[in-house]
Amino acid sequence: MIPSETPPEVQKKKRRFQAAGRSRLLRSEGRWGLLMVSPYLIHFLVFVAGPLAVSLYFSFTKYDMLTPPQWIGLGNYEQLFQEPLFWKSLWNTLYFAILFVPIQTVLALILAVMLNQKLKGLKLFRMAHFIPVISSWTVILYVADSIFNPRFGIANSLLIKWGLDPQQWLNSEKWVIPLLVIIAVWKGIGYIMILFLAGLQSVPGELYQAAEIDGAGAFHKFRAITVPLISPTTFLVIILSTISTFQAFEQVYVMTGAGDISSAGGPRNASLVLMLYLYREGFSFMHMGYASAIAWVLFMILFSLTLIQMKMQNRWVHYN
Amino acid sequence: MVKRKGMSVLVCMLLVLTVFAAGCSKGGSGTADSPGGVTEPKPGTDTPAQEQTEITLGYYSDGKSDAKMKELITTFTDKHPNITVKTQSAPYGQFYQKLDTQIAAGKAPDVWLSDGALVMKYAERGTLKDVTEWINKDLNKEDYYGLEFNKDAEGHYWGIPQGIQIGVLYYNKDLFDKAGISYPEDSWTWEDLKLAAEKLTVDASGKTAVDASFDANSVSQFGLTFFSITEGWFSVLKSYGGGILDETNTKSIVDSPENKQAMEWIVDGMNRGIFTDPVDLKSFQSSMAVFPSGSAAMRIGIYARVQAANEAGLNYDVALLPTGPDGKRFAPVIANSWVISAKADDAKAQAAWEWMKFWATEDEVQKEWAALGEAVPVKKSVANSDVFLTSGANPANRQAFLDSFEFAGTLDTNAVWEEWVSKFNENAERAFLGDTPVEETLKKANEDIQKVLDGFYK
Repeated sequence: MIPSETPPEVQKKKRRFQAAGRSRLLRSEGRWGLLMVSPYLIHFLVFVAGPLAVSLYFSFTKYDMLTPPQWIGLGNYEQLFQEPLFWKSLWNTLYFAILFVPIQTVLALILAVMLNQKLKGLKLFRMAHFIPVISSWTVILYVADSIFNPRFGIANSLLIKWGLDPQQWLNSEKWVIPLLVIIAVWKGIGYIMILFLAGLQSVPGELYQAAEIDGAGAFHKFRAITVPLISPTTFLVIILSTISTFQAFEQVYVMTGAGDISSAGGPRNASLVLMLYLYREGFSFMHMGYASAIAWVLFMILFSLTLIQMKMQNRWVHYN
Repeated sequence: MVKRKGMSVLVCMLLVLTVFAAGCSKGGSGTADSPGGVTEPKPGTDTPAQEQTEITLGYYSDGKSDAKMKELITTFTDKHPNITVKTQSAPYGQFYQKLDTQIAAGKAPDVWLSDGALVMKYAERGTLKDVTEWINKDLNKEDYYGLEFNKDAEGHYWGIPQGIQIGVLYYNKDLFDKAGISYPEDSWTWEDLKLAAEKLTVDASGKTAVDASFDANSVSQFGLTFFSITEGWFSVLKSYGGGILDETNTKSIVDSPENKQAMEWIVDGMNRGIFTDPVDLKSFQSSMAVFPSGSAAMRIGIYARVQAANEAGLNYDVALLPTGPDGKRFAPVIANSWVISAKADDAKAQAAWEWMKFWATEDEVQKEWAALGEAVPVKKSVANSDVFLTSGANPANRQAFLDSFEFAGTLDTNAVWEEWVSKFNENAERAFLGDTPVEETLKKANEDIQKVLDGFYK
């Protein structure tokens, strides 16, 4: 329909008619719709939006939980950006992410391709890789400790046997983040592998057959078919792992402090990640306002990182 | 267009919520009014006996102490039929996490068991009731250990001790015998301790620290295990004449020559592998485990450590902590205490005080609790009786705990205790590991600690 051809009054009337119909529809269907989503909506308002707004408010106050909050405007944010420990914890978190995300993604993909073959005992292998995922961090700590304990661990006894210097591992500023990454990859890889497996199984077999007829080798097939076709999964994996590294708390808490907040994040704050810093400020030192400010800065960082990744996806993610 | 509309709805929602939140917190502030937040207790207004009062009592516990506490509460309610007690208990960590949120929400228990190191955190933020008048009226101060440990700089009392932790020197008799050294004596200085510790430190190849070929990097048995403020550096600093805060608890005095001397004594011991340094401790499952496992010949320990040592079947005893260069001695104290919420109304506060009085004055309660073996009894008559002095086989010299009260003091606890302790630890760790010289460390610690203090008191 070309608007200029219909007289304006007719158009107006038609619009009014349409609007009335829509609102009647809204009244019945909309009401039902609202009713149906209300459990979620209430949950969202009470447990998500509410706390979010409260924490935003607290981030502009000095608040220790025991006395009423005092409005200090941007004071917490100013203090935050001048605080060397904040920058240190931000850097530690980034360092963790830079190591963790690519290593876990690549290894999980390789593992998934290997476990996507039709071999005997496949389920056993898949399960073996998934066991660390469902174990608690405390259990992982005991396993890691039996390897990396500087006094009693296997790693050091091997080093000594080979004539090398024993290391302090989790007690060394140089080693602590790489080791935490290795342990986290070991624990998390099974989950990511399952995601990749699902992606791999949705790739149509005909494509490979066609490629084989054209004389493509295994690596070429992987590069030209598998990688582009599972790129949506890869994209999801990268976003999920980036978010999870910024949220890393329990693992550092357990691994570097054995559950004791005063020594967690060591040695010498070399493994103090953002979430640990937030927890320490908020719950140990009762700087709830300051901790809320950290949370919001953390949110802004994650939000922009995800946004960048979303923008970049046009370049390498292929949907069909 | 649609997008923008969605945004504005979202913004509106957030605005409404923010206003709502602000309103809420204002409401909260209304109830937590006046920084003191303390309605003076009125000792005269006893509630009539027939009027029923229900109080909520919060405490941290493990399984064993929980059962005993419930027993004692039943005894209490039998004696006070007009008071009913509702309990809230949890393991230590969870209890305090919950407590802070409860206070924030205005739903704190009427009376709770506070870690001695945290009493001032709650008191100075106005969440506790001042119990000075009650103590003056109902208790004979001479009869109790440690009432003064809950007294602030202005002389107000904020609670009464439930049980007392006090530091002494623990030593492993077997390791001393093996090395052929006589046991620690009360006349020891810290230098004497180090001389003995040298002979008690053994490396992987069985050489002691006196040996020229001793390897400080592969110590298998330490002379002294050393960690934390309570069971480590604070006693040394204080007996050398140093300390952390001045008498007002608002000014840092860390950067003093006395502290420097004390810290150098510590750092030297750690560098030579005689004392456990922070890295050594990490290789044990817990820093508490070094002494009970027989990996260290001596430790500075509070009374509660008796339990782990006895469970491990250790052959050990205790002595007074050594003296500093000028003969000064210092034993750290933590007086875990019953405190009353500032929000409790008069009737509840009165009932809560009855409970506290019952706890402190009744011999039966004190004896029952002493039998658990987790703290030194508050009542002097019970602490000085066989109930405490000869209960259980070890340690034989229990008198040392009581004698230590003569030179005992708190850990300079104030409203921001946890925070300044962590600042000190952070800096001290650098000195302990040899990253920075002692002088520089203390200067930096002084700045950091003063900043923490100013953050609250200014």
